[in-house]
Amino acid sequence: MADISLKGVVKRYGRTEVVHGIDLDIAHNEFVVLVGPSGCGKSTTLRMIAGLEDISDGAISIGPRVVNDLPPRKRNISMVFQNYALYPHMTVRENLGFGLKIAKQSPAEIARRVDEAAEILGLGALMERTPAELSGGQRQRVAMGRAIVRHPEAFLFDEPLSNLDAKLRVQMRTEIKKLHRTVKTTVVYVTHDQVEAMTLADRIVVMKDGHIEQVGTPMEVFDHPVNTFVASFIGSPPMNLLPARISDGQVVFAGGTGLPVPTRLADRVRDGQEVTFGLRPDDLTPQGHGIARGGERAQLTLEVGLSELLGTETILYTRIGDQEVQGKMFGPRDVAAGERLTFDVALDRAHLFDTVTGRSVRRL
Amino acid sequence: MGRTLRKRLAAVGLWLLTFVLMVIMCVPGLWVVLTAFRPNAEVLAKPPVWIPENPSLNNFAKIFGFGADQVAIPVPAYFANSLIIALTSTVIALLIGMSGGYAFARYRFRFKNGLFLGLMLSRTVPGIALSLPIFIIWSRLGLIDAKLGLIIVYVALNVPFTIWLIDGFFRQIPKEMSEAAQVDGCTRWQAFWKIEFPLAKSGIASAGIFAFLTSWNEYALASNLTRSTDSKTLPVGLMDFTAQFTIDWAGMSAMAVIIIVPALILTFLVQKHLIAGLTFSGVKG
Amino acid sequence: MTDRRPPFWQREKYTPYLLLLPAVLTILFVVLLPLIFSLYTSFTGYRLIRPESLWQWVGLRNYERIFGDRDFWVAFGRTVIFLTIALNLEFLLGLGIALLINKITWGQRTLRTIMMFPMMFSPILVGYQFKFVFNDNIGILNNALQALGLSDGAIPWLVDKYLANFAIIFAEVWMSTSVFAILLLAGLFAMPRDPLEAAKVDGCNAWQVFRHITLPFLMPFVFIAMTIRSLDVARAYDIVDVMTGGGPAGRTELLWTLIARVGYDNARMGQANAMAYVSIVLSIAFTYYFFTKLMAARRYMGGAD
Repeated sequence: MADISLKGVVKRYGRTEVVHGIDLDIAHNEFVVLVGPSGCGKSTTLRMIAGLEDISDGAISIGPRVVNDLPPRKRNISMVFQNYALYPHMTVRENLGFGLKIAKQSPAEIARRVDEAAEILGLGALMERTPAELSGGQRQRVAMGRAIVRHPEAFLFDEPLSNLDAKLRVQMRTEIKKLHRTVKTTVVYVTHDQVEAMTLADRIVVMKDGHIEQVGTPMEVFDHPVNTFVASFIGSPPMNLLPARISDGQVVFAGGTGLPVPTRLADRVRDGQEVTFGLRPDDLTPQGHGIARGGERAQLTLEVGLSELLGTETILYTRIGDQEVQGKMFGPRDVAAGERLTFDVALDRAHLFDTVTGRSVRRL
Repeated sequence: MGRTLRKRLAAVGLWLLTFVLMVIMCVPGLWVVLTAFRPNAEVLAKPPVWIPENPSLNNFAKIFGFGADQVAIPVPAYFANSLIIALTSTVIALLIGMSGGYAFARYRFRFKNGLFLGLMLSRTVPGIALSLPIFIIWSRLGLIDAKLGLIIVYVALNVPFTIWLIDGFFRQIPKEMSEAAQVDGCTRWQAFWKIEFPLAKSGIASAGIFAFLTSWNEYALASNLTRSTDSKTLPVGLMDFTAQFTIDWAGMSAMAVIIIVPALILTFLVQKHLIAGLTFSGVKG
Repeated sequence: MTDRRPPFWQREKYTPYLLLLPAVLTILFVVLLPLIFSLYTSFTGYRLIRPESLWQWVGLRNYERIFGDRDFWVAFGRTVIFLTIALNLEFLLGLGIALLINKITWGQRTLRTIMMFPMMFSPILVGYQFKFVFNDNIGILNNALQALGLSDGAIPWLVDKYLANFAIIFAEVWMSTSVFAILLLAGLFAMPRDPLEAAKVDGCNAWQVFRHITLPFLMPFVFIAMTIRSLDVARAYDIVDVMTGGGPAGRTELLWTLIARVGYDNARMGQANAMAYVSIVLSIAFTYYFFTKLMAARRYMGGAD
């Protein structure tokens, strides 16, 4: 049980730097998710915490110890790998007990802790099987079991659900969440799937190109993205991002359409500034089909092109000026292609980003 | 109906054709084996005797020094030499090959491709060309006509190929296995012996068998670096027969059978692994 | 509390070199140093019977002598022709056999095992076996031909200039075809179904499918086979040494048998080493060529590091 802290952590392969000085403090028992597109350095960061990659610069500490030069086995962490990395020549029981055996625990203690983990994860019936005889979900569970038997200071997960089919993924996600509640430990979890990040995390760390873009609770990251990258990466369907220019208290889009500058951001922009206007599809809804929620509104009449019925809601494809945007219709009805609808724009939930820096104009 | 019949006929024809081809492939070898079980007189008989009239194990008894007539060629000593030399050099080559193969499979380092190519190219030096300087150096070091001399040469002969094969086998084991073991508390050394080695075991065994066969069958170097019963191996010994005035075809065939039998058994054991290892390391890199 | 940095031999950076050290040392002492020594020797007039001649520097005279020697060029040319014919035949026959076996579903395992048969024979045994088969007096071939009434005399398989060369090529091809067959068969097994079916749907006939889909896919396997074969082409020395010893009267003399004759029988080590160098360069060039081809094919297949 320990907090983990990264100070100016850098990873270089030869001359290429892939992680550029990361600072991050993870609290005791916190569930932190590193999320980002592939190649953003999230796995490398995790592997540096695990000790599977050297740290080129900076320091990582787990609890009170700086672990930079400690091999993985001395860091008292456990890890669940993307492909589970179960030992194919051992039974489930042997897989679970392997770490304890290496640590020279007594057979009685090993049996007790293996059974305990098996109990938590419901592996009882599978104990004498080999990994080859298990389904994907079962392997996943064994991998988690192997991680918890050792009572480590932290769990590291490296894209553990990416090899499962969609349904199983949702199920295992819940199990991981439950597991964290049962076995209180610090968790660092790496994924490229923002839904996983949103559902699992206490705090999300959004990464890109070896930098941390934003750290925050799922709500913070969703509601207050610091830049266009985070805005487009978190949330599905992604936030609409429209190039625009500030003119006379109006956000004017290419093609001439305009919207008032949201009041809360009015003093953060200047006339003539090039901005990117960000609006989630949930906040662009036909009148009468939005989420009942007070706040600043504006109206736009737009022609709907395609629509995709999802059940409780419909995604509407339309254009503001010459920009393709998506809106949502809650409590849907049939919409014909080409139909013109009046949309509510939830200005209080809209975002403005400086086009040059990509950063939110909001006071940070 | 006509179409399926024609297809079936074609299939049968194909099979027959292949089978006949295979038989032609095997006849020369089988003829030698057959000869090993018949007296020399029958081999020399005119008109030829096709099917052995009185097959016996006399030839084997003869070359191993049992029975009434014996040959002057000390086959048991050659056999022992072959076994000792091949086994020892195999074990050493395997240890070296495992260490090297692991390095190539698991690490990135400078000169990796160059080193690999260099090791492989060392294997291309024709045995007879290599034998000349080794002959001169070994005779100064007193390694001519010594088992040790051949063992050293065979280790070097086997190391490149052993590395190639073992590299391939280790690559088939995900790197995550060893990482998981290290996170589970193993040192890299423990992770290797407890996880990676057991998983690569059968592949390594087949690399070993391949090394054994190379040593067991080698002739070009052995024929020039050995002199007497102290170190002569079976392939060199086989040539003893031709030095006599009349070739003892039957005895020679019996000796050939003795050479081929271990090779036969061992090749059967590893054929699957061998092909997998060669193609995997070659294609998937 | 930071643990101290581990000593250098435990650091990741040096581990691969340490692991490779035994292999490198072995090759250094048993292959590289002797080769350097033999390179030196090839510039001396070293004869085995006169040890002091090891220090007798003769410059390029050995090379001048062998390059001006008709016997050497004949053996060299014969070796090149021998390799060209043998390797092409092995490849074509191996490809044919692999395709044939790949087609066959019933009894495939048996056929595969039979196909492996020649691989188990050491070259020396192959040589002996064909010395026996081609023997003009008691060989099974002549006996069979006579029994079938196809020939009435003893055909001098290992004596006649053309027949003897045919015989050694036959033995070599017999021994090594299965290497090609097996590796190409492995390639055929590994071949994905989709492109084949796509090509058929696209209207390719059997030949076009083979030419445009199967063959390109097999190329890396062909290069693997060629590389493996190039590692041991010189094993043909064993075969020829047993079958004909390079004779009669040098009619089947290959570079390798010539080296052995000059070095050991005539004890002219310096000159033999010069020839050995020619054979080494030949082998290395051969291997290197196919190895680079293999690497290129690997990259092409997207499997490289």
